[in-house]
Amino acid sequence: MTMTATRIFTEWRDKSLDDALLECRDMVEAPDFETARRWREAGGKIAGHFQVYFPEEIVHAAGMLPFKVRGAPLEANQADSHFGSYLCSILKTSLELALSDVVEMDLFISHPICDAARNLAAIWGRNVDYPSQILYLPQNPNSSGSIDYLTHEYDRIRRVVEEVSGRTITDEDLQNSIAVFNENRRLMRELYEIKRDTPWLIAAEDAYALVALAGMVPREEHNELLTELLPKIRERDNKPEDRIRVVFEGGFCEQPPFDLIRMLGRTVYVVDDDFLIGLRWITEDVPVDGDPLGNLATAYIEHSSYSPVQHDLRKPKEEMLKQRISDAGADAAILAAAKMCEPGLEEQVAYTHSLDDAEISYFLSEFEENMSSFDQLELQVATFVEHLLFA
Amino acid sequence: MAFAAGVDVGSTQTKAVIVDEAGVIVGRALIDTGANVIKAAEDSFLLALNEHEIDEEEVEYVVGTGYGRYRVTFGNTQVTEISCHGRGAVHLFPNTRTVVDMGGQDTKAISVSAEGEIVDFCMNDKCAAGTGRFLGAAAAALDIPIDDLGPVSLRSTKPIKISTTCTVFAESEVLAWIGKGKKIEDILWGVHKSIASRSAGLMRRVGINDEITFTGGVSRNLGMVRALEERLEKPLNISDDCHYMGALGAALFALDHVLTGRTPVSTVSGVTL
Repeated sequence: MTMTATRIFTEWRDKSLDDALLECRDMVEAPDFETARRWREAGGKIAGHFQVYFPEEIVHAAGMLPFKVRGAPLEANQADSHFGSYLCSILKTSLELALSDVVEMDLFISHPICDAARNLAAIWGRNVDYPSQILYLPQNPNSSGSIDYLTHEYDRIRRVVEEVSGRTITDEDLQNSIAVFNENRRLMRELYEIKRDTPWLIAAEDAYALVALAGMVPREEHNELLTELLPKIRERDNKPEDRIRVVFEGGFCEQPPFDLIRMLGRTVYVVDDDFLIGLRWITEDVPVDGDPLGNLATAYIEHSSYSPVQHDLRKPKEEMLKQRISDAGADAAILAAAKMCEPGLEEQVAYTHSLDDAEISYFLSEFEENMSSFDQLELQVATFVEHLLFA
Repeated sequence: MAFAAGVDVGSTQTKAVIVDEAGVIVGRALIDTGANVIKAAEDSFLLALNEHEIDEEEVEYVVGTGYGRYRVTFGNTQVTEISCHGRGAVHLFPNTRTVVDMGGQDTKAISVSAEGEIVDFCMNDKCAAGTGRFLGAAAAALDIPIDDLGPVSLRSTKPIKISTTCTVFAESEVLAWIGKGKKIEDILWGVHKSIASRSAGLMRRVGINDEITFTGGVSRNLGMVRALEERLEKPLNISDDCHYMGALGAALFALDHVLTGRTPVSTVSGVTL
């Protein structure tokens, strides 16, 4: 059986656009990650990769499902005992996925994005019976040796994946995967063009669901989904409304609850964001020809987005944020950070100083993936919007 | 004569204010919100109309505010209570630059411009410490009416220090102090000082600038006024209408529409261009 031909999310097919989007939301919101179970039942293997970025092409080339580990809306009953109470929620709920067998994996890979997450792979590895690996992305992408280093590191990961999958990953396999992901990158860019240019055509939570599905289904299947739905979204006859256009910054690792995104979408147009930015990390097509791992490493260093957990002197994050605001034609920014998230909260300082200097309005907030009451936050966002509308 | 109205559906009480074309309050009403939020909004509005014998048809525009603002079904639009308290406070006390609004469930610190526009704001997080709820817990533990909390606290001569900041634990700490033989007034003053301390911390986040106006239901508590003034080392603007400040601000936004046609835009259901 060819796993890439297996379809594990079919509910949206042959449905109206609204119903298809409803199916997408339901699949993303559900805490049981049904697509992973279906993949396993069809005989497939899964490599879970923790936030923020992972070169999924390597796993895809081995015929495995790259599964984005991004926390979950569940109680961390078992995982709580492995982490201090002062740590962020995503670490605990991600581990809970494994400990409570919600998602059965064959390999787990993380990158030490912060002090808390650098211990995740070791804790994970001690408590499951499959390999747990750390991908060491370059600490200093500005070094002349960073691309060579990363190419070798990707090659090490290739060998790990080969061992788990029981399949040799050829350069041709990788090139084919790069082509599939290039198509996906193009479609994701198109989705964000719609958000920026015509935000009234797609609700914030629908756009989020479409992106999140990329981490839950094979990319070929995700490509089919976007290829069919994006033209239908463009054809909608929704009328623009007099709403503030905002950029949401703070969704690079722990994800805001779906209802928070839905609440924002009722109040403002979220014209750009960093939700699940790792799935959209490479900003341009990766060359298909040539050394595939070298090309992936070059893309990471030279053609990538930004987040508080990558330190690239060529990409001062506050300047990148202002560029994102400008490119999106946004009126303001919502600067959110997950509770207990050191990188996210630290970056808020630089962001606020920079936006103050540029006289760009912003709203500062914190969130937690399992928060369930949004009344206070909605009141504050609404007041912020009034402040902009009445000014 | 045209009139405008604001209805502030709070978590504990619902307030309605009618203003005339000069922005003068001509009718006001205050009732318990209870379980039927829509009815509370309607009843308070009708009561406020009765105070000045105004016909409903004479009220040209109604703005809903407060947590139940979308349940003001007869209202024309909604504005958040933060914007309304800022607007109302500057209307009553034109030199107001900082507003502290202490309600039943939350406390808000608001920085405002001379025009009553919001410059910055923040409110307590999930925790109810530093809000009217904290006083409610103390009143329940001491078995005295909420309206008596302030006057009783002001009789204190040896205030005790309330160490907990958690509303849930406040009751047990109050009971523990009673068990140790402390006077009720001394315990209560400690409770007031604890809330004042939390509120001052909130206010510092937006900046404490003269003048400060104290709004919301707890502003009627003279003990809380004194505790905040001592903590801030500044006098507070207080008026009998401070409890109505949200409704007053809403009425003023409504009056804007009556006089200029400027519509306060609801932030949820946007206006189609």
